[in-house]
Amino acid sequence: MSASANVEVKVKDGSGEDPEKLAAFEAHVQAGGLIEPNDWMPEDYRSLMLRMAEHHANSEIVGALPEGEWITRAPNLKRKLALTAKVQDEVGHGQMLYEVAQDLGKSRNAMLRDLITGKTKYHNCFNYPCPTWADICMIAWLIDGAAILNQGTLAHGSFGPYIRTMRRINMEEAFHFKHGEDMVLTLMSGTEHQKKMAQDAFDRWWGPSIAFFGPHDRPDELERPAMKWRMKTATNDELRQKFVNRFAPAAMATGLVINVCEKDEHGMVTKATPDPLLKLDEETGNWGFTQPDWDEFYRVIRGNGPCNDERVALRRFSYEQGEWVRNAILNGQTTSQN
Amino acid sequence: MITNPRIKPPIVTDELNTQEVHAFPVWEVFTKKKETDAHTHAGSLSAPNAQMAANFAREHYGQDQVCCSMWIGLRDDFKSTDACEDTYELFVQWNAGDRHVHVGQANASSREDAETKCKTEFVGDKEFYTIWSLPHQAMHAIDGDEDMIWRTTDQSYRLAKGYSKIVRQKWDAIRASKEVDDYQKEDLKDTF
Ligand SMILES: [Fe+2]
Ligand SMILES: [Fe+2]
Repeated sequence: MSASANVEVKVKDGSGEDPEKLAAFEAHVQAGGLIEPNDWMPEDYRSLMLRMAEHHANSEIVGALPEGEWITRAPNLKRKLALTAKVQDEVGHGQMLYEVAQDLGKSRNAMLRDLITGKTKYHNCFNYPCPTWADICMIAWLIDGAAILNQGTLAHGSFGPYIRTMRRINMEEAFHFKHGEDMVLTLMSGTEHQKKMAQDAFDRWWGPSIAFFGPHDRPDELERPAMKWRMKTATNDELRQKFVNRFAPAAMATGLVINVCEKDEHGMVTKATPDPLLKLDEETGNWGFTQPDWDEFYRVIRGNGPCNDERVALRRFSYEQGEWVRNAILNGQTTSQN
Repeated sequence: MITNPRIKPPIVTDELNTQEVHAFPVWEVFTKKKETDAHTHAGSLSAPNAQMAANFAREHYGQDQVCCSMWIGLRDDFKSTDACEDTYELFVQWNAGDRHVHVGQANASSREDAETKCKTEFVGDKEFYTIWSLPHQAMHAIDGDEDMIWRTTDQSYRLAKGYSKIVRQKWDAIRASKEVDDYQKEDLKDTF
């Protein structure tokens, strides 16, 4: 899903490097130049890129967990095929991103173990519950829609292996998004019961979707390493506005209402009121909207969300249950070269 | 309707006691989308042996688009500097950020020799970024005619374009029914 959004790391900016090399590197990337693994790069660029790819990879495989749980409960064969393909794609995105991160210097095994022991994080939006099929529809439409916006800008970043991976991933995200749109339209042109299911799920996912792009920009955002070194090419607030401009009018056109919601500790909505700030500014072309609940965002990111424990537990369960498979492969291994 | 998933694993926080997995070797995968295309680098993967790498490559790099042939090579074999007399497969990355593309073959006595021949025969005066070469015998090939890569059943359900038409129809229907609703509002008030 999103790599850059809400990675909470202490970012270093390359001080300590040879100033001449650093200046040449920065001039190169700022002019649109690309970096390949064997090129010189500041150590801080390498480690930030590694953490970005690792966080992104973690998010792909954790994001597939709530969806994977719905495969057996898909409403019909067509949806089941598509959801199975989506889950396969997401895990595949994880596999490609772990390769990118691994080549930057951390073993895949260490990454998988750090994820299940809570040493590293994944995208915050997967800590929310997915109680109905309509949640699957909203994830594919809103969260994959947000991911395309974000990854579309990441594909213009500076690190060759990462941008090649983004291009391949985005092609598949386009399917996830279109399939999501198809499912949302199906519900919204269905019975009153279907429409209510869709509205309830939309209420649960609108907040996490606009929080998806991460915290507010800092005043010095453009000077910070991720932007300065062109790992990111758009800021969190820019992307959030772009997302609202695209999805708010589309949601309303289907008949969905954009609400500001209060939630209980299970992530279920207890109170929903129409967003009072939602209106189009004719001059700028931007839609106004109520910001996500940032206190909730930080509470969830620190591990106290409705599903944090459950997601990590399922990932850990899979890792532990898969041990015999890895052993069988390794012990029955023939030589790796011919 | 709220239903529960079938698996509810226990929430555990104690030490991990599963074994660590030793790093699997990395393989480079090249795909050829149609007969007239050159094999192009699709990405890499980690697998314990050539057979697992081939299965993994087919499933992972052969399923995103139509694909008629794949080549798989051990990353270490692209780097080794041992002299090896063979026909080398040559790949050029023209610019940073690009994928390596197969440009042709050369008979050579070593990697160095192969890359020199690549420059004289396939690059010429053009600018390029990096060259990869691999002895032909170290390359594992999967031919889509003999060993299926892209499935022959309808796979439009896993492509964005498989949804464009139906999504359009649904939008049209929703918009049209809204217009009808608006129009009928007046009817409902009075006479009907
Ligand atoms: Fe993904
Ligand atoms: Fe996706």
